[in-house]
Amino acid sequence: MRCLVIEDEADTSRYICAGLREAGHDVTACDNGIDGMRLACGEEWDALILDRLLPGELDGLAIVARLRGLGRNTPVLVLSALSSVDERVRGLRSGGDDYLSKPFAIAELLARIEALLRRAAPVPDATQLQVADLVLDMRTMRVTRANRQIALQPREFRLLEYLMRHQGQSVTRAMLLEAVWDYHFDPQTNVIDVQVSRLRTKIDKEFGPPLIHTVRGVGYTLGVLDGG
Amino acid sequence: MAGHNIHRSIAARLALGYGLLTALSIAVVCGVFYVGTIGVLDRSVDHKLVVLSGRLASLYDVNDGGGAVSAEIAHLLTDRTDSDTEIFLLVGADGRRISGNLSEWPDPASPVGRLLHREVTREGRRVPARLLIRDLDGGARLFVGRDMEEGESIRSLVVRSLAFGGGAAVLLAVAGALLFRRQLEARIGRIRRTAAEIEAGDLSQRIPVTSDDEFGLLSRDINRMLDRIEHLMEGVRHVSNAIAHDLRTPLGRIRNKLDGALRVAAEVQTREGHALAAQAAIDDIDELTRVFDKLLQIAAAESGMRPENFSDIDLHQIGADIVEMYEATADERGVLLVQMYGQDVPARGDRNLLGSALASLVDNAIKYAGSGATVEVSAGTDENGSWLSVRDNGPGVPPEELPKLTQRFYRLDKSRHLPGNGLGLSIVAAIAALHGGSLVIEDAAPGLCIRLRLLR
Repeated sequence: MRCLVIEDEADTSRYICAGLREAGHDVTACDNGIDGMRLACGEEWDALILDRLLPGELDGLAIVARLRGLGRNTPVLVLSALSSVDERVRGLRSGGDDYLSKPFAIAELLARIEALLRRAAPVPDATQLQVADLVLDMRTMRVTRANRQIALQPREFRLLEYLMRHQGQSVTRAMLLEAVWDYHFDPQTNVIDVQVSRLRTKIDKEFGPPLIHTVRGVGYTLGVLDGG
Repeated sequence: MAGHNIHRSIAARLALGYGLLTALSIAVVCGVFYVGTIGVLDRSVDHKLVVLSGRLASLYDVNDGGGAVSAEIAHLLTDRTDSDTEIFLLVGADGRRISGNLSEWPDPASPVGRLLHREVTREGRRVPARLLIRDLDGGARLFVGRDMEEGESIRSLVVRSLAFGGGAAVLLAVAGALLFRRQLEARIGRIRRTAAEIEAGDLSQRIPVTSDDEFGLLSRDINRMLDRIEHLMEGVRHVSNAIAHDLRTPLGRIRNKLDGALRVAAEVQTREGHALAAQAAIDDIDELTRVFDKLLQIAAAESGMRPENFSDIDLHQIGADIVEMYEATADERGVLLVQMYGQDVPARGDRNLLGSALASLVDNAIKYAGSGATVEVSAGTDENGSWLSVRDNGPGVPPEELPKLTQRFYRLDKSRHLPGNGLGLSIVAAIAALHGGSLVIEDAAPGLCIRLRLLR
């Protein structure tokens, strides 16, 4: 996938580019708003990662606004050192698809980029999601594994649905909190871990092979691991 | 401010304008008064002269000669009505005086049929006079006039008094304007002095308020604004203190860990050792970032800057969300987490901030109440506004410690071994303050009840 990184801080830019290249993406970097605007609007990209505050007259949000003004819906991840909820809302309102505050783990950024790329190419709306022998029916709100029904609470159902929609991808705890609970704050303790481990007990314990896996330093992923 | 350019001093301009305006109104008053007195007198004299000369002329015509006119003049000069100021002279066609009290022939070139001001000699005295000359049939001429000496003295009296009065009024106006300017500058001077002192760094200075007039109101407004600024500055100072004192420790810890890893690496090269040290440092830095964000959040909330995303929210729903989020965690620790039955509790606020505040309270309650305890979350409304509360029946907190709970970085001695940074409750308190409310901490006997109050 072709990604454009617009970030004026050399260290951060290098860190992001290395991470993206490692994940197999084709990366172009640029360190100012003017070139950023030209590149972002002049070429086709699969995803844009840009800093909210750039030196000069053009800041990140102006680039997003211009891009959206041109009718392009390239996924955009806005990075910022401003972490308040207000800033986040402003970033999203101006057309960004996701907002990540600095400092961040590269794993968090990669997971979010994956999610954005996936969202940009949506699978036709199925009423049923399936991973191996795990089936989730959105119409009847039923979950079965190996044809045995599993009773889930509504929130567990949504948690599983999110994991299955992003099967094979790493999702972070923050992403889960945002997508499943629709809250943007940093839960102090391991509430998400406890919720996931509960779901895991219901999905994996009496069945094999396990489908929900912990990704160290990142979060979770759902899928059949190679050789697992 | 004394040597100020007049164009730049509003006080001077006001004073000058005010003085000019006063002088102008005095001039208008004087003019009206002059026209109303002297002008009326003059017109009445003129009118009388015209009427009288007309009457005498027609008398001359009817009687075809000077006899009747002379008799009438003699009568008029003795009838004791204005007799001592009336002036008459009838001159025959030959230029001889027929009758009258003018001892001298006025300037023969004087225009005829018009009212004139002339000096004449009446009964041997030169006097100023108002005069009307008429030509009669057969070349005779009639002079009718009025001695204006008395009128002149009245006129000069009026002019003098107007000049004195007007002058005094203008002087008073100028003095008043100067006084006004002095006062204005004194009042503004006080504000400027205070501003200068504040600029020099003493933010505690306030403008003395001595009256309830416009300046008093302005001073009060400025003082209120200064209170607010001082409060904001206080918040900033708090944060920098916290950064100085409480972020140095973890930074030092991280540095020591990395330093240690480096020294070990010099001796034995182990990949796992490096990875472990790096991971530990990253965890510490993440925690540091979290503390940093929270301090900023507290500062933002304490500064009272109203966030933009206040919306209509339901406190009961937030309670339900957080209870659901923490249910599994509570379960794991043997704590029963329940939400009290309730209806929608509509309020205005920031859903994420209130969610994180409630999460923090629930988290604390689960952590400190201990296994076997019950934690109740409820939301409601009363006459003072709406609230969210978390109540547990755990060991609680000694009453003397209750007020210290919301202090930054304060932790009960017995809880120091538990994870946490001592910022939780001060953030919750700041979030409550941001919503115009407060955090009420009570001894639930047994246990603790913390209520987050929102402004109605």
